[in-house]
Amino acid sequence: MNPIKMKKTVLICASLLLISSPTFAEKMAMPADMPASYEAECASCHMAYPPALLSQQSWKNVMSGLSKHFATDASVDPKTQTELTNWLVKNATTRQKYSETAPENRITKTSWFIRKHDEVKSEVWKRASIKSPSNCGACHIDAAKGVFSEKNIKIPVK
Amino acid sequence: MLLKLLSGFVLMGMAHVVSAVTPQDLLKPYEAQSGKANSARGEQFFNTKHGKEWSCASCHENPPNHDTKHIVTGKVIKPLAPSANPARFTDEVKAEKWFKRNCNDVLGRDCTTQEKADVLSWLMTIK
Repeated sequence: MNPIKMKKTVLICASLLLISSPTFAEKMAMPADMPASYEAECASCHMAYPPALLSQQSWKNVMSGLSKHFATDASVDPKTQTELTNWLVKNATTRQKYSETAPENRITKTSWFIRKHDEVKSEVWKRASIKSPSNCGACHIDAAKGVFSEKNIKIPVK
Repeated sequence: MLLKLLSGFVLMGMAHVVSAVTPQDLLKPYEAQSGKANSARGEQFFNTKHGKEWSCASCHENPPNHDTKHIVTGKVIKPLAPSANPARFTDEVKAEKWFKRNCNDVLGRDCTTQEKADVLSWLMTIK
């Protein structure tokens, strides 16, 4: 192989690696040290979102406004609030891609979320078994395990 | 030292037994602070809106004796009636926490002890 061809091959391989790396990013396993309070206080009303879906600043914003949490009162006692905030901030995303401060503290309003779901029609979001873009597990069948890859999607028909 | 440790464990065990309560145990102090519970009034309270968007039944349904879904997020909520879910109303701190949150969601204020007594007494009648 001549040097120019070789250079080209290396370049192609490198770009392929770059292209395939997002697939790797769709796995966001729940950290093993999840406090029991995360399940009890947060996941009673919605899925236990992996902390890596938001940035440190976004989690701080969420946790400082729990008494008015998306039109509901999700307040917790001060000890639990400190425990949860520390854990969420410690495990917040470290990836540039997810690092923006979420508008209205909503994962579903981040530009990466909107871009990833731009092919989903508004009629689909309204289906009874989906109800809301925050209901990840309705379509991402392994969302509870932190798996959001394209292979693990099944969009319900109703 | 060992004896001290052992007696500590025994005491902790006893404290745990003392803190375990039944729905009836929770109902009594509510009634003591207000008046006798009225389960028919509790049923009506539970299934009526109170000036805001939701009633209790918006998420818990009527009767709340089966798994239901959160009206916004779709998250499954376990049954509220103790007959269908024996863990309900067995922890005073937990019960108070959820009354605070959900009364704010449904009424925009704390529930009175009479309202809590009425609702709890109705939930206890559900089969």
